[in-house]
Amino acid sequence: MPRIFINGHPVEAEKGQTVLQAALAHGFFIPYFCWHPALSVSGNCRICAVEVEGEDLDIACNMPVREGMRVLTDSEAVQAWRKRMMQFITLNHPVDCGICDKAGECTLQDYHYEYNGEPSVSREPKVHATKFFRLSARVLIDNERCILCSRCVRFTHEVSRSRALGIQNRADSSLVRASEDGRFEDDPYSDNVIDLCPVGALFSPSLLYRHRVWYLQATPSVCPGCARGCTVRIWHRRPDWALHALDGRQNEAIARVTPRENPAVNGPWICNKGRDLARIFERPRATQAMLKGEPVALGTAVDAARRLLEGARRPVALVSNWGSNEELEAFQRALGGRVRAFVKEDFSPAPGEPVEDDLLIRADKNPNTAAARALFGDAPPAFEDGTDLLLVWGEGLDFSRLPTRVPIICLNAYLQPENGHADVFLPVSVQTERAGHYTNFQGVVSAFEPCFAKRDSVAHAESLFAALASPPGPSP
Amino acid sequence: MKHLIPECEALKARLPQGFESTLVLPCLRRVQEERGYVADGDIDALAQYLGVPRVQIEEVLSFYTQFRRQPIGRWHLQACHNVSCSLRGAGSLLDRLRERLGIEPGQTTPDGRFTLSTVECLGSCGTAPVLVVNEVYHESMTPEKLDALLEGLE
Amino acid sequence: MSGGKLITGFAVTATSHTLGEYRARGGYQALERALLGMKPEEVTGEITASGLQGRGGAAFPVGRKWSVIRPDDGETHYLCANADEGEPGTFKDRWVLENAPHLLLEAMLIASYALGVRHSFVYIRGEFDLAYRRLAGAVEEAYGAGLFGKDIFGSGFSCDVFVVRGAGSYVCGEASALITSIEGKKGYPRNRPPRLTVRGLYQKPTVINNVETLANIPWIIAHGAQAYRTFGTTKSPGTRLVSVSGHVTRPGVYEVEHGYPVGRFIHEDCGGVLGGRALKAVIPGGISTKVLTASEIEPHRLGHFGDCEDRRVLPQSAGIPHLEPLVFEGESLQAAGSSLGSGGMIVIAEGTCMVRVLQVMLRFYHHESCGQCTPCREGMGWLHRIVDRIVSGRGRPEDVDRLYEISRANDGTTICGLGDAAGYATVGILDKFRCEFEYFIAHGRSRYDGCLECLGSS
Repeated sequence: MPRIFINGHPVEAEKGQTVLQAALAHGFFIPYFCWHPALSVSGNCRICAVEVEGEDLDIACNMPVREGMRVLTDSEAVQAWRKRMMQFITLNHPVDCGICDKAGECTLQDYHYEYNGEPSVSREPKVHATKFFRLSARVLIDNERCILCSRCVRFTHEVSRSRALGIQNRADSSLVRASEDGRFEDDPYSDNVIDLCPVGALFSPSLLYRHRVWYLQATPSVCPGCARGCTVRIWHRRPDWALHALDGRQNEAIARVTPRENPAVNGPWICNKGRDLARIFERPRATQAMLKGEPVALGTAVDAARRLLEGARRPVALVSNWGSNEELEAFQRALGGRVRAFVKEDFSPAPGEPVEDDLLIRADKNPNTAAARALFGDAPPAFEDGTDLLLVWGEGLDFSRLPTRVPIICLNAYLQPENGHADVFLPVSVQTERAGHYTNFQGVVSAFEPCFAKRDSVAHAESLFAALASPPGPSP
Repeated sequence: MKHLIPECEALKARLPQGFESTLVLPCLRRVQEERGYVADGDIDALAQYLGVPRVQIEEVLSFYTQFRRQPIGRWHLQACHNVSCSLRGAGSLLDRLRERLGIEPGQTTPDGRFTLSTVECLGSCGTAPVLVVNEVYHESMTPEKLDALLEGLE
Repeated sequence: MSGGKLITGFAVTATSHTLGEYRARGGYQALERALLGMKPEEVTGEITASGLQGRGGAAFPVGRKWSVIRPDDGETHYLCANADEGEPGTFKDRWVLENAPHLLLEAMLIASYALGVRHSFVYIRGEFDLAYRRLAGAVEEAYGAGLFGKDIFGSGFSCDVFVVRGAGSYVCGEASALITSIEGKKGYPRNRPPRLTVRGLYQKPTVINNVETLANIPWIIAHGAQAYRTFGTTKSPGTRLVSVSGHVTRPGVYEVEHGYPVGRFIHEDCGGVLGGRALKAVIPGGISTKVLTASEIEPHRLGHFGDCEDRRVLPQSAGIPHLEPLVFEGESLQAAGSSLGSGGMIVIAEGTCMVRVLQVMLRFYHHESCGQCTPCREGMGWLHRIVDRIVSGRGRPEDVDRLYEISRANDGTTICGLGDAAGYATVGILDKFRCEFEYFIAHGRSRYDGCLECLGSS
């Protein structure tokens, strides 16, 4: 354990650490653009210079700790160095923060105010480069904003292993470009480069010019896209900045999804499916309770379901593996003794979807199979002769595979044709409207919180199960 | 590219194991020698043969000035315009080239005969100015020698 | 004449580069001596004792570089000969490659033996044509004669050599960029640490020596370190290949003993300035070394300060003229604020516009910056655009200070030395010829005819 001194304070560094790592680990901030804890050291941005007493300045990200070294992170020489680097970095950068989606969460912007604070001293015309250049259908680049830190390039070589990005040309004509064989299109982790970008160079066309980040709020959540259960942040409009005059739907829409770093599950990354949670959660919703396809009040439908349950001798339930731990337990508590329950796969891999890899993506495309199977076993659904009631929770079930002439109680959040075929249909909430936990395939439990309020016409499944278990009659 | 593989295999004999990537530059040079430029199909074939990512080859082709991905004129005239050549008349030589060929550096004559380029120091400073025609150095050039040289290039 | 000849001491003919003639001159005897009569450590010891310094520009002691490698540590080591001679004004390695390729190959074998190297590489710049053909021919000759391959001279020592041709990139002459290029990638230099002798080619310890540096080795092994030290000076033993170009009567490659006066060399050995003009300035060791004025070259002969009439514009750092004549030796040039660099000497005659000279240099650095690290990628273009603007007649008074600032901001802040070098070149010219820039900015035209050619002289 080399002991070093940072700004005069003794610090116990770890062997093999760099000065940058040791400083960050002990609460001394050193600015950096190109360095990233999960990527190799490139040392190209040159902003992280520190002074070692008695030596020349050098970059901290590539400086191994040495016993007794005395590091200064904010000496006059260091400040002067940073200022010079900031002048270089902004030399050909358009400084178009006013129209840049990264504004507000841009490292370059932050450092500019922190370490430079002066307009460019250059009077030369800026070098022009391509804007809105397509690296893939999902990722565009503004090469004028790009500071060539190479984080995105290293990501594709070291993490996603698609080896799809590179830097073409040289000097100030250098351009980040995707391999011409289009393999960046097939990189299921491509959108991570957008988060990695320390400036506004990389962006998603589907999110462009839609939000300013200071109007957004991030709610901790868990990606339900596969059994990995990556922890994510779901970004949506802050309630205190809710839109009233304009399109109100924006107040309840997912603006974007980013990874929530989690060493136990997903590290700092998520896959592209996780970015597209809106495609799952913002499908047309079922908001109307029904009896044989006829709209009724939610209470009426609940009561009808109770009657069916009470009269059934051999009821079978198909339990959703999209149910949270809390919901699954509530089901078990309320109905476990009365129905024979099987775990139902709500989702199987979609055509063209990456099935499984050795980074994050799992073949099981459901978030909570582990918890569901722990409660209800892993036997496939079986319908004995004499089955006289089916309770179907969740989606993805082909009703034609169910025994005929058996009444069905269906709980679903989305508007789907099957809903109308059920004898009783009960609309339920989705993950973004409630809190809960999922247990991933490794047994790691992660929490999610509600982003939006639930509508009155739908029920939380957790409370519904208790209601179904109570005797028929008007609800108390 | 594919027919060059036996030649590349011979090169491997003098290399240590695991040095496939070292053959990127030699192979690209051979391809360009034959075809005059490196075509997209060559890149794919080379990436596959050497097991290197295609983007690495694309980077190499754009980084090194000698590689090109488009055909050029039959005669590639490369005039050095670095310090020593400039001190010995590279400017006049280049002016004469512009005048005679009617093109600017980076351009090809409409008949596809000449492509003109300016290049940086070629290590011919003692015999400056130098004009490289395809691979061959023509040193201590003068506008008069240039006229004679151009006559001989069909 | 400029002293003893250790490398160039033979008559160059149409066949003097061949194996037969090289052997007739005593070639490969040093190799035999090393392989059959010396231990690897003894070879390194001899090189260390000789005081041989690198000739690529940094003048690093060769023995010290080699000593980092333990030939018998069981690790794979590599040797690369740096034949990517690209420093403008330098063409001495080309001379060796064209006229004595076997000298390089013999040296590489000796070095490989000393360093425990099984596979060695020559990285030769892509534009070289004859030099490449001569080298490739020599490699085949040597393989044919059993000088490469397995069990050389029955010593049990085996070694292969592989020639990689560059493809047009100055920065690949930088040792780590050279390695990256041999690895088949674009020539991005690498951060140190680790040093290349710790992790170099494919992450293995690698020694990289310049062609001329290596070319000294057979002589040292054949005659011994002590004999070598009788040439040159105590601090800089041996000779130096100097390639002279520019406004000089007899340009070419000269082998000069360290300690030989620079002024005498230019005026006598090289026949003086073209057309009998006065000497204005000399770039001593490739354009990355700081320019010296005539008065700095020969302070004892010239009473004036060269081109700038106003003595006050000469800063202290430019050196109060020292009365000793400048000689070919690292210390002497350092005292004058410059360096021997790569031995690429460019002579500039009176009447040459130094603003234009700097423009050419900065265009070059801008073109050759690899673009990896911030200060060089952005700084080279910035410098270039400012000087371009001055030359176009749109200079601004603050431009000179800005050029200084950008140069200083590249000093020691970059991954490799390219940005530093451009800064040295810029600061060197600004220090000595600031008045020319001020004139150009004030009047929108050069103080001279604006030509770089020595018109009316040849």
